[in-house]
Amino acid sequence: MTGKKTTVAALQAALAAEQAASYGYGVAGAHLTGSAFRAASADNVLHERARDNLVKMITALGANPHPAAVAYRLPISVSTAGDAANLAADLELGVVSGYLSLAAVPDPALRRLAAKTMQAAAVRAARWGAPSRAFPGLAAQH
Amino acid sequence: MLAAAAAGSLGLTGCLAGCKGIKALGPVPGVSAEVVTLEHTISAEEQLVAIYQAAVSQLGDTSITSGNGSDAQVVAAIHAEHVEHLRQLRARLILPPRYAKAKPTPSHAATPQLPSDAKAVIATLAGYERSAAQRLTGDLSAVPAALAQLMASISASEAAHVVYLRRAGAA
Repeated sequence: MTGKKTTVAALQAALAAEQAASYGYGVAGAHLTGSAFRAASADNVLHERARDNLVKMITALGANPHPAAVAYRLPISVSTAGDAANLAADLELGVVSGYLSLAAVPDPALRRLAAKTMQAAAVRAARWGAPSRAFPGLAAQH
Repeated sequence: MLAAAAAGSLGLTGCLAGCKGIKALGPVPGVSAEVVTLEHTISAEEQLVAIYQAAVSQLGDTSITSGNGSDAQVVAAIHAEHVEHLRQLRARLILPPRYAKAKPTPSHAATPQLPSDAKAVIATLAGYERSAAQRLTGDLSAVPAALAQLMASISASEAAHVVYLRRAGAA
């Protein structure tokens, strides 16, 4: 794959993770109240902004951003506030994974963007109650 | 041994023929910037491990109990993750460290200095974590793709450590 194709594919992967997170936060938010609801809303706004930014970047490279799915299979069934927090943690860890390819593209600025976004998502996952892990986003062999 | 003797004979013959000896081979190739960056990253992670080891020892008797476990337990768990980071980073280094041209300049003193108060220790560790995540982000461009991914993942782990430390220190 050429550098441009690699970059577009990595941006598409990040976009897919952001789209899934936006969808999932909509589900989680419906089961949250008070400060947890406000935190979920704020986090969702961050994902929507990141999604829109990725769409612009992919378009600028002459490619078509993949559209979001109509619905996503959520990793857990949500019926309580605790479930919603667990879902939010899972969504954030999915975002960490979604940016991993972007951390490996030739463009140094995109690598830094990927790392910073992975850091921010890992922080949010921790706030939502995800347990600490040594290699967020990487496969289990680490 | 046989190979070394044969090479010696060839060398003598070569000199008689007018070569310039070992200088004709040119300078020893330098170590790439990628290797130097990795060595710096390993050295910084070694320092983090040492700092956490000191913190684990120090907090053993003075830990604050919180709803999420004592601060000593949290620090010990994070220490274990840094040991894992170090193991993975070292596994990426093919050349012996002595071949690196530049030696790392640690951002902190070689001997970890920690405050005596437990909460201040937690705050100090959080500061080290933030610095480590920032440094890794800055070094990503100088390494191969697979190592960049590992470093980005480690930087995410270190950024999240701040949350766990704050939670432990807030008790």
